[in-house]
Amino acid sequence: MGRQMSSRAMKLMAVISILALVAACTGATTDTTEAPGGTEAPGGTEAPGTTEATEGTDAPGTTQAGDGDVSNPGLYVHAADDEPLSVDPAQVAAGEAGETVILQVYERLVEIGPGGPDLIPAISTEVPTVDNGLISEDGLTYTFPIREGVTFHDGSELTADVVKFSWDRALEMDLPEGNAGFLGDQIASTEVDGNNFVVTLNERNAAFLNSIVTSAVASIVSQEAVEANGGVEAGTPNDFMASNMVGTGPYTLAAWNRGENIQLEVFEDYWGDPASLDVRIDQVADTDVRALGLQAGDYDSIETDPTFIGDLEGAEGLEIFSGDFLLEPVHMGMNMNIPEGALPPEDTIPVDFFHDVNVRRGFNLAFDYQAFVDGAMAGLGGPIPHYLPQGMLGYDESLPTYERDLAAAEEAFREAGYWDEGFTMTVLAEEGGIFEIAGLVLADSMTELNPAFQIRVLAVVEAQFDDAHAQDPFQYAAWIKNADPFADPAALFDAYIHPDGEWGSVHGFREAYADPDQIASLVDEAAVELDQDRRAEIYQELATILYDDPVWLIPGNERALMAHRSWVQNFDMNPLWPRPSLKFQYFDK
Amino acid sequence: MQIREYLLRRLMIFPLIIVGTSIIVFGLSRVGGNPVAIYLEHEMSPAEVAELEERYGLDEPLPLQYLAWARGVLTGDMGWSGVSAQPVTEALVNRMGATLELAIFSAIVAISLGIGLGTFGGARRNRWPDHLTRVFSISGASMPIFWFAILLLILFWVNLGWFSTGRSEPTIFSSIAHPTGVYTFDALLAGNFRALLDALHHLVLPAATLGFGATAIIARMMRSSLVEELSEDYVDAARAKGLPERLVLRRHARRNALIPTVTVIGLGFGFLLQGTVVVEIIFRWPGLGRWMADAVLRGDQATIMAYVLFTSVLFLTVNLVVDIMYAYLDRRVVLGA
Repeated sequence: MGRQMSSRAMKLMAVISILALVAACTGATTDTTEAPGGTEAPGGTEAPGTTEATEGTDAPGTTQAGDGDVSNPGLYVHAADDEPLSVDPAQVAAGEAGETVILQVYERLVEIGPGGPDLIPAISTEVPTVDNGLISEDGLTYTFPIREGVTFHDGSELTADVVKFSWDRALEMDLPEGNAGFLGDQIASTEVDGNNFVVTLNERNAAFLNSIVTSAVASIVSQEAVEANGGVEAGTPNDFMASNMVGTGPYTLAAWNRGENIQLEVFEDYWGDPASLDVRIDQVADTDVRALGLQAGDYDSIETDPTFIGDLEGAEGLEIFSGDFLLEPVHMGMNMNIPEGALPPEDTIPVDFFHDVNVRRGFNLAFDYQAFVDGAMAGLGGPIPHYLPQGMLGYDESLPTYERDLAAAEEAFREAGYWDEGFTMTVLAEEGGIFEIAGLVLADSMTELNPAFQIRVLAVVEAQFDDAHAQDPFQYAAWIKNADPFADPAALFDAYIHPDGEWGSVHGFREAYADPDQIASLVDEAAVELDQDRRAEIYQELATILYDDPVWLIPGNERALMAHRSWVQNFDMNPLWPRPSLKFQYFDK
Repeated sequence: MQIREYLLRRLMIFPLIIVGTSIIVFGLSRVGGNPVAIYLEHEMSPAEVAELEERYGLDEPLPLQYLAWARGVLTGDMGWSGVSAQPVTEALVNRMGATLELAIFSAIVAISLGIGLGTFGGARRNRWPDHLTRVFSISGASMPIFWFAILLLILFWVNLGWFSTGRSEPTIFSSIAHPTGVYTFDALLAGNFRALLDALHHLVLPAATLGFGATAIIARMMRSSLVEELSEDYVDAARAKGLPERLVLRRHARRNALIPTVTVIGLGFGFLLQGTVVVEIIFRWPGLGRWMADAVLRGDQATIMAYVLFTSVLFLTVNLVVDIMYAYLDRRVVLGA
C-alpha cells in the first residue's frame, strides 16, 4: 500500500511538472484583436498609433519588442518602485506613492499645466488672479467658479458644495500622517456662494495656489461615495477611501491588486480631452527587474535611477528622457541642536560644532560636487544656490553656488580651530542609494582635505532612518536625504531656511545664523508678497546671504530622468507634479 | 498506538510553543523600532505622533499591548497593515495563497527532481551520470538565488520573450473568481483552462528558481543515502535471491534511502520559505515574502509580527508532518523516545 502511494505520488508530481513545462512552452493565449498593422492587442483594445507588427511571441503580455512593434497596444504600463500606503487624499503624505495615483484619478481646483509652472483651470473654470478679480485686493479671499456639467466616476454631480465638502473633510479628519495641516494652517473659512467656492485665508500667502490648491490633499472627492462608506470622522482614516477612488479625473481606478499592480481605465465621461491609453502601474521593487522589463518591452516607462542609466543608454527601442531639474535636491542637514551625550561614542565633535559658520562653510567648500554628480547622478544633475533649485521662482544662474575649493576649506577649518586636531563625526543616511553615496563622497572629500577629518556614514534601512529623522531633537550631528518637493519657494524656505520653521526649530538655526531675524523677516515677507518679481528679488537676496551663512550642504540636484520605450508619444515630465512627475493622460503610443 | 501518543503529546506542546513564539515575536518587534515608524514624517509634532500611537493602542503598557494583540490574533484581528493599506488578516489571507502556491510548486520541482536525480546518480556511482548529478547539486546549492533568477529573466524574458514576471496576465486573472487565492486551484475550480495555463506559465521561472537550490540539497542527500543503502547486506541478499536490479533499487534501497531524505525535505521547506522573499521580489510575486520585505524596510511592525507568527506555525506544522512521515517510512523509529 505504502509503495503504491509513494509511486503514485511520484507519478503525480511528474505529471504536474510536465504540465508546467508544457505551459512554459505554449504560454496562455490572451484575448487578442488584430490591431492596425497586425500587432495583437490584449483584451481586444484597438491601439491608436500602432505600428506594423513583426514576429512576436504569444506569451501573455510579453510581446517581444523590436523596432516598430508596440507592446500592449492601448495600455500604458509604468513600472513603479513603490506602492501606495493609501490613495485617500486626506491621508497621503507629500512624496508618498499614493500621490502618483491621486494625480491621475482626482482633480483639484486648478492644476499645474504640462511643460511648465503655469497654472491651468481644472475644477475651477478660471485661475484666480488679482487682475481677474478672483483674488481680493487684500490677497486674503480666493473665489473659484466651479465648472458645470462635471460628474464623478460614480455618476454623482460636482457642485460647489461638494468642493467645500472635500476640503472640510480633509480638515475635519486632520490625520497626522496626511497633509491636512497644509490646508488648515492657511484657511480661515470656506464658503459656497452660488456656484462659487470661496476661500478666505488667515494671512496672505503667495504660494497658496501653486503649493496648496494643487496639492493632493486639496483633491476633490465624491461626497456621495464618502457618505455611503463610513462618512467623516475626526482623527480616523476612512478605510474605504484608503483603497478606493471616486474622483472626476481622466482615469478611474479599475483595480488595485496589492503587491502587483494598479489599473486605471480611461473615464469616458471626462469633461476634458479624454485620455488615449488605459494605464497599469506595476509594482517592481527591484531596479534590475525594472530595467529588464523595459528592455523586454513589457514596460513603457520605468522609475529610473541614475545609478543604472548607463545600462540602458543606447539600447534598441529605448529613450532616456532627461528634463528639467527635480525640486528635491539631496541635502545634508547640519544639527546645531545636538543634545548633550546623544552623539555616538566614536564622535569627537562638540555639540556646538556646527554653530561656527566656518565649519559649515568648510564642509560646503570641501565636498566633491563633481564626483557626486558624475558618479551618483550619472552626470545628470548639478549644484544649486542655497536654497533655490533650478526652475524655482527666483532661481538665477548668476547666484553663487558652492564649488570645491580645498584651499578655502582648509582656511575655514583652520579658522574654526579643527585643522590640527581633526575630528570624527557620524552622518546618518538611508542605505543603498544616492544618499549613502553622498555620505561616502563626503567622507572621501573630508579625508582628502585632511586625513584627521573622519566621517562615519551610518547607513540604515528606510524605516530606521525615518524613525531617527523624525526625532526632535535629532540625535546625530548630521543626516543626508532629499528635500520634500515643493512647487513654490515659500514652502521650501519656510521648511528649510526659516530659523523658526520646520527644520529651523529642530536644528536650531537661530544658534547658527549671523542674523536670524533678518532671514526670518525676508522669508516671511516673500511668503505674503503677491508681486512675483518682488518675491524673486527677495529669494535671490536670501540665496546670497545663505551662501555666506549656509545651514545645509547640498551635494546636488538631480534632473528629471526616465527611461521609456521609443514608441511612447508625447512623453514629458513635469518636476512640479508629484513623482514620478508624469500625467499619463497626455501620452499615446 | 505509539504514533497516537506521540501525536497527542506533540499537539499538546504545540500551543505552548506558539505562545512562546508570539511573546518573542512581540518583544523583538518592540525592540526593532517604533511601531508607527511607517507613518512618521519629520514634520510631525510630538502630539501628532502621540495621536498615531493612541490610534493603534501603543500608548498602553507593553503587557497590555501584548494581550490586546494576542486577543486580536485569536479573533482574527491582527491590526492594520500599513504596507498593504488593509487589515493584516485580510492581507495575510490574500497573499498566503500566492506564497503557498509558489512553495508547493517549488517543492514539487525540488522533490521530484531531487529524488529522481539522487536515485539516478546514486545507482550509477562514480560513473559520468553520477558526476553530472553532483555537479548539478553543487551548482544549485552554491549559486546565489537572486543571480540565478536574474540570469533566467535575461534569457527567457528579455532575449526569448517566453516568460514575464508577475503572477498572472491581469486580464486573464481578473476573468475568474479567486475563492482560495491559489491561482491554479481557482482556475481548476472555474474550469478555465486558459487561466490554468496562465497560472502555470507564470509559475515556471519562480518555481524553477526557488526549487533549484532545494533540488540540489535533496538530490545530494538522496544520492549519498542510496549509495550507503546499496552497500548493505540486505541488498546483496535481494540480489542473491535473483531480484532484478530495478526492483532491488525501487523496492528496497530507495525506500530506505528516503528516510534521511524526508528529514532534509522538511528542513528544505524552511529554505523555500526564506527563498520566497528574494524570489517574490525579483519575480514580482505578490506573496508573503515580498510583503515581509516591504514591511521590514518600511517598519510595519504589525505586518512583521503577523508574518513571523504565521511562518512559525507553518514551520512547526510541516515539521510535525515530517516526523509523522518519518515514522511511517521506518516503523523501527521509536517515536518520542
